[in-house]
Amino acid sequence: MKFLLKLIQTHRRVRQGGTRYSALVVVMLFGFFLEAYMHNFNLVYITLFFVFAIAYVAGPLGLYNIGELEAKFAPRGRLFANTKGELYFAITNNSKTPAWAISLHVNTLSSEVGRIEGKETKEAPITIILPKRGEAKEDECYLQSFFPLSTVRFVLPIEGGYDTLVYPQPQGIPLRSFLQKQAMHFGEEKDFDGLAPYSGAEPLSRIHWPSVAKGETSVKTFAHEQTTQELAFNFMDAGTNDEERLSQLCLWVLECEKSHQPFTIEMPNRFIQSKKESIDAILEYFARY
Amino acid sequence: MPYLNTLQDTKLSKLHHLDIAYIAVLLPLLLIIKAPMLLFMGVVLALLVLRKESTPLLMTLMTALGIFAIFLSSYGSFNFAGLSRLKLFLELLIYILIFAVSLQRLTREINFYLLLSPLLILALSLFFFHSVVMLGYVIVEIFVLLWVILSFRMQGSFQETFKMAGSMFAFSLPWVIVLFIFFPRISFEHASYGFKGEGERRMGHDGTMFLDNNALLVPSNKIVMEIGFQEKMPPSNQLYFRGSILYLDKKDHWAPMPMFVQRSYAQGYTSIEESITYKVTLYPTLKRWLYMIDSPQKAPKVDNHKISIDVDFISKTQKDIDETLHYQATSALKYTMNTNIDETTLNVALDTDITSNPKSWEIAKNIKAQIKDPKKRADAIIKVFKQNDLTYTLKPKALDLNNSTDSFLFDKKLGYCVHFASAFVNMARMSGIPARVVTGYKANPSNGIQNYLVIKEKDAHAWAELLIDNRWTRYETTAWASSMDSQAQELLDQQSNTQTSQLNLYMMYVKYQIETWILHYSHFRQLQLLDKARKDPLFIAQLVGTLLVILLLSFMLWRYFRQPLCHDKLICLMQPLLEKLQKEGYKRADRETMHQFLIRCSQEYNKNTKEIDKLYEVIRYGGDNSEETFESLKKLLKAFK
Repeated sequence: MKFLLKLIQTHRRVRQGGTRYSALVVVMLFGFFLEAYMHNFNLVYITLFFVFAIAYVAGPLGLYNIGELEAKFAPRGRLFANTKGELYFAITNNSKTPAWAISLHVNTLSSEVGRIEGKETKEAPITIILPKRGEAKEDECYLQSFFPLSTVRFVLPIEGGYDTLVYPQPQGIPLRSFLQKQAMHFGEEKDFDGLAPYSGAEPLSRIHWPSVAKGETSVKTFAHEQTTQELAFNFMDAGTNDEERLSQLCLWVLECEKSHQPFTIEMPNRFIQSKKESIDAILEYFARY
Repeated sequence: MPYLNTLQDTKLSKLHHLDIAYIAVLLPLLLIIKAPMLLFMGVVLALLVLRKESTPLLMTLMTALGIFAIFLSSYGSFNFAGLSRLKLFLELLIYILIFAVSLQRLTREINFYLLLSPLLILALSLFFFHSVVMLGYVIVEIFVLLWVILSFRMQGSFQETFKMAGSMFAFSLPWVIVLFIFFPRISFEHASYGFKGEGERRMGHDGTMFLDNNALLVPSNKIVMEIGFQEKMPPSNQLYFRGSILYLDKKDHWAPMPMFVQRSYAQGYTSIEESITYKVTLYPTLKRWLYMIDSPQKAPKVDNHKISIDVDFISKTQKDIDETLHYQATSALKYTMNTNIDETTLNVALDTDITSNPKSWEIAKNIKAQIKDPKKRADAIIKVFKQNDLTYTLKPKALDLNNSTDSFLFDKKLGYCVHFASAFVNMARMSGIPARVVTGYKANPSNGIQNYLVIKEKDAHAWAELLIDNRWTRYETTAWASSMDSQAQELLDQQSNTQTSQLNLYMMYVKYQIETWILHYSHFRQLQLLDKARKDPLFIAQLVGTLLVILLLSFMLWRYFRQPLCHDKLICLMQPLLEKLQKEGYKRADRETMHQFLIRCSQEYNKNTKEIDKLYEVIRYGGDNSEETFESLKKLLKAFK
């Protein structure tokens, strides 16, 4: 009784649709029916009834398989525009028995989850590329299963889908180049300590012109350079348009975070100090800018 | 056990799943596929086992080999006219399907028809088989195919997928049963082609009766007929199954009335006081007689056969019986009959050569002179038989066929049914009583259970019929033997209930019931059920009750198969305790270890879980996996309140 009640409740939550295999079952049933009726073969009748009954019970079993699942968006990690990222969903199986052949779908994207043990929560990722920074929302998120026979597609919508923030795409000049541009060396220019291959990011003053004349583009390296104590970025200098500037700043912020370097950013209406705000808050500001 | 573990852990690829499906569906077809095609299949199998790459050369060779195998397999059988016969057409279809599937399988690429073909092969194989064994195999086949689909879909262990297939199967069973009983059928005839697994010829009665070394005696246990009585089985003295009537004494054998003899003889029932209806399953005899209990009321109806019944109540088909026949018959057990025997028949029934059996003639002549009443004359002949100390034996000494009656009664005194019947009929004719020999089967009731009866080759029998008071009366002539020799006694003892024969009989009974109620379930049976339900409300209650029991059993089976597998012995042992505690409101929190939970239960709720925790820790982390420790934990868990 409990099982039936559960099934009725589940029926309302789960969408069902036939697959091409259900069409195959219909054709098979018709074929068996003709064979059985025309020749009065009880063996064929038995096969026909088994095919029908198994296809029929596949419905409630499949429903029960997916119906006991609960899924919700579980934000984890950062998502950047136009960059491969992963959306995580926490899928809980409330049944004692495992749920089989589950896949996670976001719009047209899908990811195999496989089995989820009974009374277990599994965090399932789905790889996604979001094109724009800012708030990203999608209601078309669902769990899908073809269990048990592939004849019916069971779809359990994930309530609320996902609602997350996409940060600007981190791209532009690497922080190293920015620092190199800003770096001041000590002593005369001829006091350089060695040569290094030109990476394309070094300022013109660093290029070792004699080696260029010889056909090799090298840059001068100095033993003692004055490093910038606090990086000061300026929104307006970071690019030619807002998206480019945000992408550039996003890249620098992430690099600074990696190398634990404090920084400041002068935005048109705001002055950001990494010592006072968290990186996530700064990135969120960029995302919503 | 290691094999089981290996099986449990084996992950099958999609192709392996398909291979299993193909093995399951092709097995029964191996019985009908011709040798060249089998050889082709063998080559394909060898190439697959040897993992040969499907190069263009190999594929071309295999295509040529396949076409050649199809050609050889069907050589001589097929022409365009032959193809209109469904059996040949199906056979060719199977060959082509196997050919296509084999070539596709060699490429190791899965396409739609490779996925679909197991089902097609299953459907085709059902055209060829219609037996209890195939019924069992079809059920296994369906289960295997279901398991293959589930195993592929679930990607679980063998045990898990097997359990899931079991649970689906159990869930579907009640539906199959209900549909099988109630799905409307039509009364089309069974198609008569297919694999004749039961086509082996039965010996027994053959329309003549020899008295010499050709005399029919088959002490074999091969089953000739199976009878299912609608009600109770009649007593032993009424279990005579009529085969043929023999009128002509040809010295070394008895023969039926010749076909050219014009008979204007008629007989019919004037009233029937007791009759019996029964179903007969007659296995191939390659003869034309249909056997029915004395005396049949009318010719039975048999699918694909035209049956006639003559004035002597002998039923025959127009062609030899080369397949198992199923028919329903009704026979009169107590009746009055109006017999208008014609002159020709009467003359033939009285014809006897008095010169060749002088001793018998002398006695018969005296009986005829002294006794007027034919019945009393017959009794006097019986007395003669009894006085002569005749011995029933399966190995009689050869009779002098020029005077077989005298030789049997007064010289050799050894014989079996044919000798007794022959001598009695001759004596009766000599004493002026029209008589004839009847051959058929005399069933042994010990070969029956309730309303089911088996008739074996060794039950072939001959008896006599005498025209007394204008009615043919049966005489069991072997009953007057004074003794029986050891061999005949041994044969009789074999029939008596040894445990093996009794078990065998029960198995036959089950097989018969399956054949009757499943394989030959029909529109007629449905109507019978409906009729019974109309007349008997209790029957409806019984039917509904039975269906409910089946539903309950299937649900229990389903529940059993749905139980999650126990991967961790210790956790499984602890599970009932956790459930018990949860019922009482003490739930284990997320990320709470077993130890933490048990201690919390002990401290906060004053539960005696400390000892359990200790043992749990010893087993889980102390490395003590001994049976004793597990037993101690079990005891603690059992004692937990």
